[in-house]
Amino acid sequence: MLVFAIAVVLLAYAAVGLGLRGRLPGLPTDLVVFAALMVAAHVAIRRFAPHADPLLLPLAALLNGLGIVMIYRLQQSGRNGNPGLQVTDLPSSATTTQLLYTGVGVAALVAVLVLVREARVLQRYTYTLGALGLVLLAIPAVLPTSHSTVNGAKVWIIFGGFSVEPGEFARLALAVFFAGYLVSKRDVLALAGRRVLGITFPRARDLAPVLCAWVATLLILIFETDIGTAALFFGMFIAMLYIATQRVSWLLIGVALFLFGTFVTANLFHHVMERFTVWLHPFAGSNPTGIAYQPVQALEGLAFGGLFGTGLGHGQPYYTPLVQSDFIFSAFGEELGLVGVMALLLVFGLLVQRGLRAALGVNDPFAKLLIGGLSFVLALQVFVIVGGISGLIPLTGVTTPFLSQGGSSLVASWILIGLLVRVSDSARGPAPQPIQDEGMTQVVRAG
Amino acid sequence: MNRALLRISLACLAMFVLLLLNMNYVQAFETNKLATEPGNIRVFDEQFTYQRGSIVATGDGNDVTIAESRLIKGTDTYQRYYPQGPVYAPVTGFDTIYSQTGIEQTANKLLDGTDPRLAIHNLTSLLTGKQKQGATVELTISPAAQQAAYSALVDDGGHPAAVVAMNPSTGAILAMASYPSYDPNVLTTFNGTQLNDAYDNLAHDPAQPLLNRAVTPNFPPGSSFKIVTSSAAFSQGLVANTSTTVLAPEPLQLPNGNLLNNDGDETCADGDPPIIEAFYLSCNTAFAGLGIRLTAPVLRDYASKFGMNQTFDIPFQVEPGLFPEDQGWTDPSLTAFSAIGQFDDEVSPLQEAMLASAIENGGTLMKPYLVQQVLGPGLSLIESASPTALSHPVTPQVAGYVKAMMYEVTHNPSGTAYETAGPPATSIPIYGKTGTAENGLTPAESPDDAVFSCFVPAGPGVSSPIAVGVIVQGGGFGADAAAPIAVQVIQAYLKAHS
Repeated sequence: MLVFAIAVVLLAYAAVGLGLRGRLPGLPTDLVVFAALMVAAHVAIRRFAPHADPLLLPLAALLNGLGIVMIYRLQQSGRNGNPGLQVTDLPSSATTTQLLYTGVGVAALVAVLVLVREARVLQRYTYTLGALGLVLLAIPAVLPTSHSTVNGAKVWIIFGGFSVEPGEFARLALAVFFAGYLVSKRDVLALAGRRVLGITFPRARDLAPVLCAWVATLLILIFETDIGTAALFFGMFIAMLYIATQRVSWLLIGVALFLFGTFVTANLFHHVMERFTVWLHPFAGSNPTGIAYQPVQALEGLAFGGLFGTGLGHGQPYYTPLVQSDFIFSAFGEELGLVGVMALLLVFGLLVQRGLRAALGVNDPFAKLLIGGLSFVLALQVFVIVGGISGLIPLTGVTTPFLSQGGSSLVASWILIGLLVRVSDSARGPAPQPIQDEGMTQVVRAG
Repeated sequence: MNRALLRISLACLAMFVLLLLNMNYVQAFETNKLATEPGNIRVFDEQFTYQRGSIVATGDGNDVTIAESRLIKGTDTYQRYYPQGPVYAPVTGFDTIYSQTGIEQTANKLLDGTDPRLAIHNLTSLLTGKQKQGATVELTISPAAQQAAYSALVDDGGHPAAVVAMNPSTGAILAMASYPSYDPNVLTTFNGTQLNDAYDNLAHDPAQPLLNRAVTPNFPPGSSFKIVTSSAAFSQGLVANTSTTVLAPEPLQLPNGNLLNNDGDETCADGDPPIIEAFYLSCNTAFAGLGIRLTAPVLRDYASKFGMNQTFDIPFQVEPGLFPEDQGWTDPSLTAFSAIGQFDDEVSPLQEAMLASAIENGGTLMKPYLVQQVLGPGLSLIESASPTALSHPVTPQVAGYVKAMMYEVTHNPSGTAYETAGPPATSIPIYGKTGTAENGLTPAESPDDAVFSCFVPAGPGVSSPIAVGVIVQGGGFGADAAAPIAVQVIQAYLKAHS
């Protein structure tokens, strides 16, 4: 499977060369390194998590490789002599940089496998990681703009040419925190409460964490102008609450709070309202050349790709500003067409499904909750960005996992794969050895 | 917890299903709507990645490409190229990244392949992976005649001038040249700024190179209008036949008391000549008098039958001549001037060619056209010209009378064009009528406009007839400035068709 994934990436790379210059690209050093990294990851998984789901790495490798290929393609904008304005702000080292991040990501994967031999090890660090997550999230909000803002989004930590998007890592840390918190509180949350209109509402003091999370996400939204991340955090927390308590009331409360929060912010903040305007009327008035320029370019790019796409290197995805990061999916849509986009979505879907499968299979409730939440948030992230690009929902800026340019997102995605691999190993492998824990009962699975 | 996880799984599934459905909606069902959104930059660029069809001149039996799209080396972008830019510019027009003129405009959908008649071909090329291609537009233009016409205009020495040649029996336009012209190749750049500069240069050039003089009614027809006046006089029974005498006093006193003179105030024969003599000598007073008797509405009616005051497509829209219902146009004193192609009469060289054409063709005016046929990629016939009559200005008998008179213009030693279009100049039997028109400018500013309308009927050594209209602005005498240009065009055409 891994060989197949690498082969697809190689072929895509060759197609870019053919499409852009009419001949095969030179020796793909970058891709040799990529293949070596993936093989290394494979060996590490075999070594440290021998029973892991064998589909996880090939899926991630395929997505990551195609992302690198698309960045390689985008840094070359159009064919020589292509008319019109060529928009590319990618340096010529973008491919290599992305490859470097892939290396860091694979290293992070291996580190997770080595350090986290059992998912519940993380449970010990529930509050530590929770605090860390909040701090990471908060740092860009308190940093001066020059050290925190790129393209209007105040979500970065920038020092000396090196930038990190801490939100990507904070999401993982907070997922651990939520999972740890909910595992210990889930009975209280699930059972105590008043029944109103046939729905059991939780007690106010149990409701507090939800409200805190809700307020926190809104604060991020306000200070960092990052609606997408807020939506992801909120969605993740609600999903994990639901998994932990199985109470529909939590879902209703969550959705109600989300709608209320959206309504308030849309009316309070011009740029939030603008997103709705752009979503509903992208082609009205001066929108296509003004505030809706980017999404309109993405939509027209998708439409231009049509069923089969223009072919790699033959389209003009560079007309969409920042196509290499948040909008990279529109580049795939343009050059690979509906067929390619559906394939990519299926790969993502498969990855999510494998994650949820691992969550279902594992016995440890903490791991179950953690992986269930992370898998859901992966699906939600794809939904938010791809749905935003294709006009299904209002557009908010989040990265496309594995595909988008940028190290933070890529490394965080690989850490996520590490956790998935670890948990799937537990789920599929022989019963784990009991670990002395606060009175938790081990269920030994037969077979 | 697994029950909740399964529900979460369903939620994930629902999200992916929604995404897949929406992607299908955007990329399969909305493509056309999005493609036609104004300002779609990709669709705009796309026009350069397909090979736009060629425009070919086929009037001499062989194909001469006058506009084609060439692949820029090392790219997949095509750029328009006009091998003989200025020569054919009035015909081809130009194709810029923003707009088109001429055939490039009127046949745009065929050339760029978006015409519905090309849809089936484009669908098959999508499935077979072949490159989408535009249709080839084949024109009636004779490269020999066109080249001769443009060279003659250039050699004429700087007067704004134009030539149209057509086949009287079909209406096929054989040549359409205008001077000064422009090179459409300067407008094929992909650089918008460069394009705007180049266009502004042309548009603000006082010489007006972008003006297609061949089809623009900017010139008084002068004496060439006597073809219309005499046609009307024969048809209305004012004059029985070519030997019927007409009054040609010098000067002619107009109803308002003003005097109308012959050219150079010369007497016209004995003052009572047969109409044929008045015609080849081009006496103003004879035809002015006929015009007064015909009255302005009747004269205008015949002018319209000869194609004036009409708008039609050749395929770009033209209105080749004007005999307007201006203030006082029915005043007999002004009608007298209208009858000799002055006052408010205005024509283009196309109109002059149409006058000669109708007479040659026995009184039936064929509708002028430029597109002989359109071939889809793979040489399938998309459309083919079918010559149609525009009008029947005169009976064959009257056409015969006028034809005889036009013969004398070039073959009677006293005829106005004997020296320049008659036996001394060429052995080809040219039938013509000169015009030397006051253009409203003072002689110091600009001498008279030289006009010549002529035809060569089919006969020995002439496989297909040809009618030519020439106007040289400020050229002076029609016989001296315009007739030689017509002769050169005719010679070149007949040589290519011998």
